[in-house]
Amino acid sequence: MARLLMFHGRECPHCMRMMPLVEKLEAETGVHFDKHEIWHDEENADLMRSYRPIIAAECGGQLKVPTFLNPDKGEAVCGEMDYEKLKDWALKQS
Amino acid sequence: MKKRYWRCFVCNDIHYGIAAPELCPTCKVLNAYVEISAEEARKTLGGGPGVSLTPDEFRAAVERFAAGQEFQVNPDREKVDLLLKGIFENERNHGLKYCPCRLRCKDWDEDLRIVCPCNFTIHESYKGVPNGECWCGLFVRRT
Repeated sequence: MARLLMFHGRECPHCMRMMPLVEKLEAETGVHFDKHEIWHDEENADLMRSYRPIIAAECGGQLKVPTFLNPDKGEAVCGEMDYEKLKDWALKQS
Repeated sequence: MKKRYWRCFVCNDIHYGIAAPELCPTCKVLNAYVEISAEEARKTLGGGPGVSLTPDEFRAAVERFAAGQEFQVNPDREKVDLLLKGIFENERNHGLKYCPCRLRCKDWDEDLRIVCPCNFTIHESYKGVPNGECWCGLFVRRT
């Protein structure tokens, strides 16, 4: 199973909306995301910054949340999306 | 071109930009700006009366900013409340009203691009999008 990361912000409404979809996906498929809150935890923020070249390339040049990342394949997708799109992306990473 | 600091010699307004404004927006004097150091700008701005904004005052400020524009503050009150909470947490913890839906990269000039309100009208989430909004959703296109 691929190692997947989710970067999110506590006061980000898009992240808040995505969280239940992520949990549903994890329960239904066995996919797992390591979740990192980035505005209230500087270690998590530094971790996200360390992937800036990958994330910025996929996210309009900036570090945006929510971001879903496969650090090993160097693939990322960001923003609010529907369940099927997230599922397709996550399953493609395996 | 690099931005610099400028001070109106009449009323001490501070401007940060590549050139001085011809007309001081406060005292209306022409050609009144002189270039100053960042330190002088900081002291001038920091030495005056405290001008802090509460979340409600900031909400009113962005509503005035959006008045008459093609965008408005999101009518979803709950969403705006959450965003304002994040914006003010970021100001308290990180110094400026950074967007809660992006992360600063610790480059001063780059990070100024994510201070709310940002220049969202050129972003892919808004420009040319019928129901466009800024990345965080604080501003939405009027329909």
